[in-house]
Amino acid sequence: MPGLRWLLTHPCKGASSQPKCSVARGWRAQVIPLVNRGYFCSICRFRKLKGRDWTGGDPFSKWISGSLVMGADSGPGAPSAVPWRKVLYERQPFPDNYVDCRFLEELRRNVGVRRYRYWPVVREAGLVTQQLSCVAVFLTLWWYMYQGELYPFTLLLAGLLCALLGYGLYEALGGSRGGGRTRLADLQSAAIFLAFTFGFSPVLKTLTESVSTDTVYAMSALMLLAHLVTFPYAQPSPPGSLSLNAALFGSVCLASRLPGALHTFAMLTCALLVFALWPCLLHRLRDRAPRGFPWAAALVSLGGVGGLASQSPGGAVVLALAQLTLTLICPLLLLWLQKHKDNIQGPWDEAEIHEDLSRFLQ
Amino acid sequence: MVLKIFFPQCCNMAASGLLIGHWLPGQDSAVVLAVVHYPFIPGQVKRYLSQLRNESQVELAVLGSWSMPKDGQEGMESFLRDLSTIFPQGRWLQLSREMGKKGFTCRVVQRDGGLLGEEGENGDGDGDGDGDGDGDGDGDGDGDGDGDGDGDGDGGRVIFIHYDQRKVMLCQLHPPEGGARGVGAVIGGEESSELRLVFSAVAQSQPLFFTDKYDDGPLKLTHWQSEGREGSIIVELAKHASVPVCLLLTWLLSLWTWLCSVTNLQPVRFVSSKLSTCVQLSYRTEHLQIVSSPKTALGHSESMRKANIFVSFFVDVALGLLLISWLYQENRISRLANTLVPVADHVAKELQELLQWLMGAPAGFKMNRALDQVLGRFFLYHIHLWISYIHLMSPFIERILWYVGLCACLGLTFALSVLSDIVALLTFHIYCFYVYGARLYCLKIYGLSSLWRLFRGKKWNVLRQRVDSCSYDMDQLFIGTLLFTVLLFLLPTTALYYLVFTLLRLVVVLFQGLIHLSVDFINSFPLFAMGLRLCRPYRLAEGVKFRVLCEEPGKPLHLMMEINPLGYGSVLQWYRTPTYSCYPKDSWAALCKKLFVGELVYPWRHKGTKID
Repeated sequence: MPGLRWLLTHPCKGASSQPKCSVARGWRAQVIPLVNRGYFCSICRFRKLKGRDWTGGDPFSKWISGSLVMGADSGPGAPSAVPWRKVLYERQPFPDNYVDCRFLEELRRNVGVRRYRYWPVVREAGLVTQQLSCVAVFLTLWWYMYQGELYPFTLLLAGLLCALLGYGLYEALGGSRGGGRTRLADLQSAAIFLAFTFGFSPVLKTLTESVSTDTVYAMSALMLLAHLVTFPYAQPSPPGSLSLNAALFGSVCLASRLPGALHTFAMLTCALLVFALWPCLLHRLRDRAPRGFPWAAALVSLGGVGGLASQSPGGAVVLALAQLTLTLICPLLLLWLQKHKDNIQGPWDEAEIHEDLSRFLQ
Repeated sequence: MVLKIFFPQCCNMAASGLLIGHWLPGQDSAVVLAVVHYPFIPGQVKRYLSQLRNESQVELAVLGSWSMPKDGQEGMESFLRDLSTIFPQGRWLQLSREMGKKGFTCRVVQRDGGLLGEEGENGDGDGDGDGDGDGDGDGDGDGDGDGDGDGDGDGGRVIFIHYDQRKVMLCQLHPPEGGARGVGAVIGGEESSELRLVFSAVAQSQPLFFTDKYDDGPLKLTHWQSEGREGSIIVELAKHASVPVCLLLTWLLSLWTWLCSVTNLQPVRFVSSKLSTCVQLSYRTEHLQIVSSPKTALGHSESMRKANIFVSFFVDVALGLLLISWLYQENRISRLANTLVPVADHVAKELQELLQWLMGAPAGFKMNRALDQVLGRFFLYHIHLWISYIHLMSPFIERILWYVGLCACLGLTFALSVLSDIVALLTFHIYCFYVYGARLYCLKIYGLSSLWRLFRGKKWNVLRQRVDSCSYDMDQLFIGTLLFTVLLFLLPTTALYYLVFTLLRLVVVLFQGLIHLSVDFINSFPLFAMGLRLCRPYRLAEGVKFRVLCEEPGKPLHLMMEINPLGYGSVLQWYRTPTYSCYPKDSWAALCKKLFVGELVYPWRHKGTKID
C-alpha cells in the first residue's frame, strides 16, 4: 500500500472521538495518505503522523470506513477519454470531489517557516531580559526611596543626567528626524511631564492613604506584570498604550506610598525615564547601532541584578536565574521545537491573492 | 330571519290606535315608539309624522295597528286592519291584546294584501277571516309575500322585546371593550350595531315625546311622557342663568390670559414652569375655559367632560374652603409657622450630623481624607448659609403663610400645589447638595469611562459610534494615566456623597410626587360620571341583558330588555379628564441607570405631554 496515493473517506464526520470536521452531511471528506508519513484529511485538516500518535491496529482498518473514491493508480475512477480539468464551471463526467493523480504534486511543506540560528535569537531575547531588569531597577530604586536611603534630590539629579545623556545619544543616533517632531515639541512634552507630575504629586501622595498597603502592593505587582506581558517586544517604539499605562499606574501606586511629595515626584520621573523613554532609546539603538544593542541590554540586566543584590541577594539570584533562562535556554527550546515543525500547504488551502494591489490603490 | 319588535313598556296598556315607530334600515326589526289613539284623522297623522321627521331626522312611520279590547269597542278590529290601506307600508303589523292574557297576537301583512304570517293563539277563534297559511320567515324583507305554507311551527318568528323607553332614551350605550361580560348580555357584533340603532332611534325621536295628554293637539299619543313631561324648575332656571354667567366668565378668563401672555417673559416663564402652583393655575384656567365656552357641547362625551370638570371644580373649591375654615381658626397659622422654623432647623442640624459622619469613616469605608474634608466643609458651609437664610426669613413666615393660605379658596389642589412648592423651597439645600454631588459624580464616571479607553489604547469613534484603537502620544498617555489613577482612587468618596444626597433627594421627590399624584387625581377624577353611575346606573350602559317574560308554545317570545350599567373601572377609563401626566415617564431600569451615571432626577411632572 505505501507508495500509492489514496483518497479515502475519513470518519471525521461521524465518530465522536475523532476530531471534529464541519463537513455538511452527504459530502465526503478525504483522507490523503502522506507518503510514508501518515494520513491527512483534506477537509478537517486533521493529520496523523506515522509512528507517533498511532494507537495501534491496522491504520487502514481504523481509518478507512468508506469506499475508495478515487485512486490515481487504480482503475474504478472514470474510464473516460475526456481529460479531467480542475474547473467547476464545466460539466464533466467526474464527481465534484474528484481529483486526479496530480493532486499531491502541489503539496508543500514548511513553506513560511524560518530557520533560526541560535545567537540572533539570544540577541532578541535580550530585549525581554532587559525589560525584566528595568522593572527590577525601578523596584530597587523605589525600595531605596522607601527606606529613606536615597534622597529624591539625588534621584532627580541622576535622572536629569541620564535623560540628557540619553537624549544626546538619541539625537546622535537619529540621523533623519522622523515623524516631524522638533526639539521644541520634545521640550514641550518634557515641560508637560514635569509640570503635571509636580503639580499632581501632593494629590498622588495622599491618594492611597486610606487604602491598605497590601492592596497597593498587590495592585502594583499586577500592573507591572501586565506591563511585562503586554510590552510590544516585536516593536518597542513607541511603547504600547496598555503596557505603558499599566506601568505608570503601578508606579503611581508605589510612589504614593513614599514619605513625601518630592519623593513621589522623583519616583514618577524615574518611572517615566525607565518605562517610557528608555524603550524608545533602545529601539533607536537596535535600529541604528545593532552592535551596541546587546551591550546595552547586558548592562541593564547586570544593573538590575546588581541593584537587587544590594538589597536582597536571594532576589538577585532568582532574577539572574530568570535572565539566564530567558536569554539562553528559551532560544534553545525554540530551536529544538522548530525542528519538529511540520506544516503542509497544498491546493486545499484557501486562495491567497498574490497580485500586487498597490497599483489599484494609487 | 326573525322579526324583532322593540316595544315600549309604557304602551302595554295603551288604548287601541296606530303604532308609530321606525323600521331599522338593513335590519329585520322595528322599534315602536308611541301609540296614536283613536280618534284621529289620517291626514293629520301624516302631517304630524312628516313634521317630526324633519325635527328628529328619524324615519318615523306608521308601523301598524294596536288593538286593546275594551268593552263596547268590538268593531275596532276590522277597522284597524283596514287602516293599512290608508298608510301604505311595506309591512303592516297588527298587534292585538286580549284581556286576561299576557302575550300579544301579531300579524304581519304585506303591502299587496297577502297575509305573511300570523302569530298568536292558533285556532283561538279570534275572528280573522283570512286564511292562516304560515309563510316561511326567510326573505320576507322585500315583501314578495310568497305565502307557500310549509306548515312549520310558528313560534319564534316574531320576538317582542320590551324596553323601558325613558331609560333607553336617556341611556348612553358604550362600545364594548371585548372580554368577559355578564352572562345575560351576549351581544354579537351585528346585534350590537342593531342595538345601537335602536338606542339612537329612541334617543333621537325625543320631539315625539314632548306632547302629553294635556296638550290640545289633534292627536293623542301614548309614550313614556304622556302622563306629563319630566322637568325641574331648578334645572331650567340654571340653564337660563348660565348664559350670562358663562359670558362673564369667558370675558374674565380672556382678560386673565391676556394678562398672562403680557407678563410671560423668559424669566417669568421659567419660574412659572417650575412652580407647581403656576402649572395648576394654567391648568385650571384651561378647564374653566372649556366649561364657560358659550358654545353648546357637541355630543355626549364633550358634555360629560364639561360636567365632570364643573363638578370637580366645585368639589375642589368646597374642599379648599373647608381647609381654609379649619386653618384660619384657633390661630393655627401662627402655630404652623412657629413649628415650621424649628423643623427646618432640625433638618439642617440632622444634615450637619450626617456630614460630620461622612467626614469621618462612614460605615467603615476608607475614603480619601483630603477630598472628604473638602467636600464636607463645602457642604457644611452651605448648610450654614441655609440656616442663616431661614432665620432671616423667620419673622415673615407667619405673614407669608397667612397670605399663601388664602389661595386654598381657589381649591384644594391649589393648597396642595402650594404645599409642594413650599416643600421644594424649604428643601432647596438638599437639592443643591444633590446637584453638586450628581455633577461631580457624573463628571468622574464620564472621565473614568473615557480614560479607561485611553488606558487600553482605545478611543470612542464618534462618527462610527464604536470603540476604535488609537495610538496616543506619550504625553497624552502619561497625563491620561495620571488622571485615571487620581479619579479612580477618588471615586469611592464622591460616590458615597452622591449616594447619600441622592437618597435624601429621592425622599423629597417621593413626597412631591405623592402630592402631584393627589392633585392629578382630583383634577382628572370623573366625579360627575361616577355620581351618575351611582345614582342613575342606566344612564351609562355597557350593553343590555334580556330576560324572558313569557314563553309559551304557539305564542311569540316576549323578552324584557334591561340595561347593563357600565362598570366603575370603565367609567373611570372613559371619562377621565386628560391631564398632564405625573406618572414616571422612565421605567425603573431607566431610572436606575440615570441614577447610576449621575444624571439629574426630577419629580414626575412633564409639562406639555397630555395623556388621555
